[in-house]
Amino acid sequence: MKNKIIIPLVAASAVFLTGCATDAHYVATGGTQNIVNVGQINIQDYIQAANAATADLLASGALDRVKNPPAVLAISRIVNNTGQQIDTDLLVKKIRVALLQSGKAVTTTTFGLGGSAEDPLAKGMQQESQFMNDQKATRTADFSLSGKIIQLNARAGNTTQATYSFQLSLTDTQGLAVWEGEKEITKQGTQGTIGF
Amino acid sequence: MKTKIAALFAVALAVAGCHDTMNSVENAQKEGQRNMVSDARVVSDTGLNRKVGVVGVNTAMTPGGFLRVQVELLNRTHSLQNFNYHFEWFDQNGMQVSGSSTAVIPDEIDAKEDKFISAVAPLQSAKDFRLKLILGQ
Repeated sequence: MKNKIIIPLVAASAVFLTGCATDAHYVATGGTQNIVNVGQINIQDYIQAANAATADLLASGALDRVKNPPAVLAISRIVNNTGQQIDTDLLVKKIRVALLQSGKAVTTTTFGLGGSAEDPLAKGMQQESQFMNDQKATRTADFSLSGKIIQLNARAGNTTQATYSFQLSLTDTQGLAVWEGEKEITKQGTQGTIGF
Repeated sequence: MKTKIAALFAVALAVAGCHDTMNSVENAQKEGQRNMVSDARVVSDTGLNRKVGVVGVNTAMTPGGFLRVQVELLNRTHSLQNFNYHFEWFDQNGMQVSGSSTAVIPDEIDAKEDKFISAVAPLQSAKDFRLKLILGQ
């Protein structure tokens, strides 16, 4: 009788303990071990697109043509024209970080689309500082960064393909796009590996 | 008869398996001069090196003062090759500098194709570089 209770208990414990042991492990972000999905923008795609845009922008010299370097950047709308819900900061933040580290541009967090501030507290601090020091004018943005992410699907037999186009524009205060960049990433897979 | 069919089938398979090689044309009198740099190579994957080899490396500076590197690769095989690559950057003290996140870049090169890959240093302080080539899937 005692055994009848103990044995199931031991078995249940074994199953429970085995269930806890997973093969979870760390991989390098952006490395070759990262998961690749055809129907989804993976982290390595964002990194690749951001790095390509940053390198192209730095090489163009567009940011060097401001009176008072470093250039001040305001972030405009990044349109998501893919079939998935994405956070565009996965792309934009990487570009901002890289440009700041390069010393060529800084981004304003107190001036945004429709007058909204990315950091409302910073905007309050800025206004308070201006009021206390009786300042009339602050430095305005030299450029706005806008863009679009587009997904294009294709299928032939069991093979499915998705192309993600990352398009970015840097517009100056005259309303002219002084730099434009586009990075396309195409992924292919067979039926079993896709999500759409 | 059976032998003939088998032979034809084998030839068809062989032809289908071969990828078209690459033809190219370019101007013979070059206007631009490439600033070729001597390179030090460490080859741990001889298989990849046999398939896709480095022909030459040249560098230039961007208008903004960033180091730009261009590497010429050659596919020595008669089939398309997939590879991944990744640039690392170092300052004048030999310390690695990194911009934001980095990712290996997947690429492919056609049979017998000569191809350039390039990168721009993330910081002006980057003076040296290293290219890592990894065989793709």
